[in-house]
Amino acid sequence: MSRCILMYLTIAGLLGWAGCAAAPDPEQTRPRKFKPIDATAATFWDRQTTESADLLRELAAEFNAQRQGLPIKVEHIGGYSDIYRKVAASIQARALPSMAVGYESMTSEYVRSGAVVALDNLLTDPEAGLPLKEIEDFFPVVLDTNRYPDFDNKMYSFPFCKSVLMLYFNKRVLADAGIDEPPRTWEQFLEQCRKVKAKTGKFAYPVSVDCSTVDGMIYSMGGDVVSGRETRFDSPEARRVFELLETLAKEKLAYQIPPGSYDDEVALAQDQVAFVLRSSSGRTALERLMGNRRDKWGMTTIPQADPANPRTVLYGPNICIFDTTPEQKRIAWEFVKFFTSPEVSVRWALGTGYLPIRKSAAEDPALQAFWAQWEYNRAGFDCLAFARTEPNLAGWQEVRGLVENAETAILSGIQSAQDAATDLTRAADAVLARQ
Amino acid sequence: MKRIGAKTALAIALALGGAVTMFPFAWMVLTAFKTNTEAMSPTISLFPAQWQWHNFADTFRAAPFGVYFFNSFVVAVIVTVAVMLTSLMAGYAFARLEFPGRRVLFAMFLATMMVPFEIALIPNFVLIRSLGWYNTYAALIVPWCANAFSIFLARQAFMRLPSDYFDAARVDGCGHLRFLAWVAAPLVKPAVVTVALFAFLGSYNSLIWPLVVTSEENMRVVQVGLTVFSGAEGVEINLLMCASTIVILPTVALYFAAQRNFLEGALGSGIKG
Repeated sequence: MSRCILMYLTIAGLLGWAGCAAAPDPEQTRPRKFKPIDATAATFWDRQTTESADLLRELAAEFNAQRQGLPIKVEHIGGYSDIYRKVAASIQARALPSMAVGYESMTSEYVRSGAVVALDNLLTDPEAGLPLKEIEDFFPVVLDTNRYPDFDNKMYSFPFCKSVLMLYFNKRVLADAGIDEPPRTWEQFLEQCRKVKAKTGKFAYPVSVDCSTVDGMIYSMGGDVVSGRETRFDSPEARRVFELLETLAKEKLAYQIPPGSYDDEVALAQDQVAFVLRSSSGRTALERLMGNRRDKWGMTTIPQADPANPRTVLYGPNICIFDTTPEQKRIAWEFVKFFTSPEVSVRWALGTGYLPIRKSAAEDPALQAFWAQWEYNRAGFDCLAFARTEPNLAGWQEVRGLVENAETAILSGIQSAQDAATDLTRAADAVLARQ
Repeated sequence: MKRIGAKTALAIALALGGAVTMFPFAWMVLTAFKTNTEAMSPTISLFPAQWQWHNFADTFRAAPFGVYFFNSFVVAVIVTVAVMLTSLMAGYAFARLEFPGRRVLFAMFLATMMVPFEIALIPNFVLIRSLGWYNTYAALIVPWCANAFSIFLARQAFMRLPSDYFDAARVDGCGHLRFLAWVAAPLVKPAVVTVALFAFLGSYNSLIWPLVVTSEENMRVVQVGLTVFSGAEGVEINLLMCASTIVILPTVALYFAAQRNFLEGALGSGIKG
C-alpha cells in the first residue's frame, strides 16, 4: 500500500516537474505583437447585461454603420473575473480581442505582459487624437484614474462606466425619527443613526463590506489612502472611519449584509433602514425596488468632515486597447472616441445610470430634461467635480481584500478599530513593498 | 411499541432531512414566479404574492436559450458517448490486460486527477487556439472525451468481475473487444450508467471552459446563458431562478430515469455525494 502511495506521489511530482521544466520563458518566447482573436472584426469583450448590453450593441451598430472597415463586435464575457481569466489565457495564446473592459488592477496585470497599448500618443495625435479642448472637457478625475504610476504614469485605459459613492436615504424612516434632512457631516450621520434606532428601533445602516466605500469614507474625512507606495490606513482620518464603523456596530446601529448581496438596497426600499452607501449607478436598481415612489427616498453626497470641501470616491471600469494589428488598434481607438463623445456619453448615462464623463454634458438638453424629472437625478453628476480615484498600484487588488477583512473584523467585534488599522497598515504596506 | 416509536422518529428525521434538501429547489422554482423586488426580499416567503407567469417569456427574451439548449445537448451527448467508450476500453485494459508498465500508467492517469482544472485552463486554451478550434464544437467537446475518474470507475467495476467469465468466453473463441462489448459491459451496467451520468452532468453544468473557448452567441451553452442575469449593479434574481428552473429540468429528469443504477454504481465505487 505504502509502495503504491509512494509511486503515485513520485509520478505526480515528476509530472509537476515536467510541467514546470517544459514551461517556456514568457519573455523569451513572446512575439512582438499579439494576433487578433477574430481577424474579421474588432472584438470588444464586455460584461454588460440586459438593457445596458442592448444599448452598447446599438451604439456599436451605429458606429459600424457610420464607417467602413472592420466592424466592432461586442461580446459578453461573464463577470469581471471571467473577463480577466479569459484575457489572461488569451495573452498566453498570443491572440487578443481589440479591447476589453476592466478595472485598473486588471489592466495593470495586462500591461505587465506587454499586451496593452499606451494611449498617450493616440490621445494627443494631431490626426487620430482629440483636440485639447475636448480633452479638457473630460472631468480630470476620469482620465487620471487611467494613468498607472507603476508604468511611467502612462495612460493604459480610457473611461468606460463611471459612478461615484453616494448616500441613499429613506425619507419615511428619517421622518419617523424626526429628521428633516439627510446628514452633511459624519457627526450628523452618527447622531441620526442613533435617533433612528431610538425612535424606530430599526437599524440605521446596513453595511456592504467594500474597500471602495472605505476609501470614499477616508477621502470624505479629508484623508488619503496611499502616499507613494505606502498606505495611510493608520492616519487620523482613516482611524476616524474605522472608529465610526466600530461605534455603529457596538451600538447596533449598523449590521453587515452578506458579501455580494444587495440586501441593503432591499432593506432601504422596504423602510427597514435609513441609509445606504452605494455607487451612484445603483440609482436605477433602487428606483425599481422603490416601485418608482420617488417621494420616499433620495440620494446625496456622502457625509463629510468638511462639507465646504467635499470628497468622494470614483468607481467604475475602463476600456483598454490591446496591442494587436494597426488596423484593429485604430478601429478600437475610433470606437473609444465615439463612445466617449459628448452625445454618446450622455446617451450611455441616460440608458444605464452611469455618469456622463464630460463637463459639457451639463448643457445637453436630454440630460437637463432628465435632471428636471427628479431633484436627485443630478446628485451623482455634481459629485464628479470632487470625486477622487482609488490607487491603481500593482498589488492593490490584494490590499482591497485586506481592507475588507479589517472592516469585517471591526464590524463583527473581532478587532478594535485601533488594532485593525495598525494591522491593516502593516499588512497592506508589506503587499505593496513586495511588488 | 418501542420499534414503532423508533421507526416514527426515523421517518420524521428523514422527512426533515428531505424538506431541508428540497427547500432550495422549492425556493428556486417559486422565486421564478415572483417580481424582482419580492425575490430580493430578505424575508423568506416561499410563495409569490402574485404569480408572474410572464417571467418565463422575459427569460427567453433576455437571451437565446433555444440555441444555448441545443448546444448544451449536442455537447453533453457527444461527450457522454465518448467518455463511455474511452472509460470502458481503458478501464477494461487496466483491469484485465497484462502489459508492461500497466500500474505505472494507471498511476499516471490517477495523478492527472490531482491537477486542478484552473491550472490546465491556460495551456488547454493555448492548445485550442493553436488548433484553430476557438468558437467551435470541437473546443467544447474534444478536451472532455476522456477523464481519469471515469476510467478509474470503470476499472473498479471490471475488477470485480470473476475472471472465470473471461476464461469461459475465451474458450468459446471470444476476443477482448467482443467480451467487453457483449459480456463485461452489460455486467457492469450500474458503473456504465454512473460514468454516463457524471459525464453528462459535468459537461452540461460546465461554465468556465465554454466561457473561455467561445464568444459567439451561437456557440454558447446554457450555463453561460445564466450569466446574463447577473449585472454589475445587481442580479435579476427572479429571472435567474426562472432560467435555472428551466436549465435543471433535463438533469433532474435524467437523474430520476437512471436513479437506481446511479446509486448502485456510486455506492459500489465508494463515491460519497
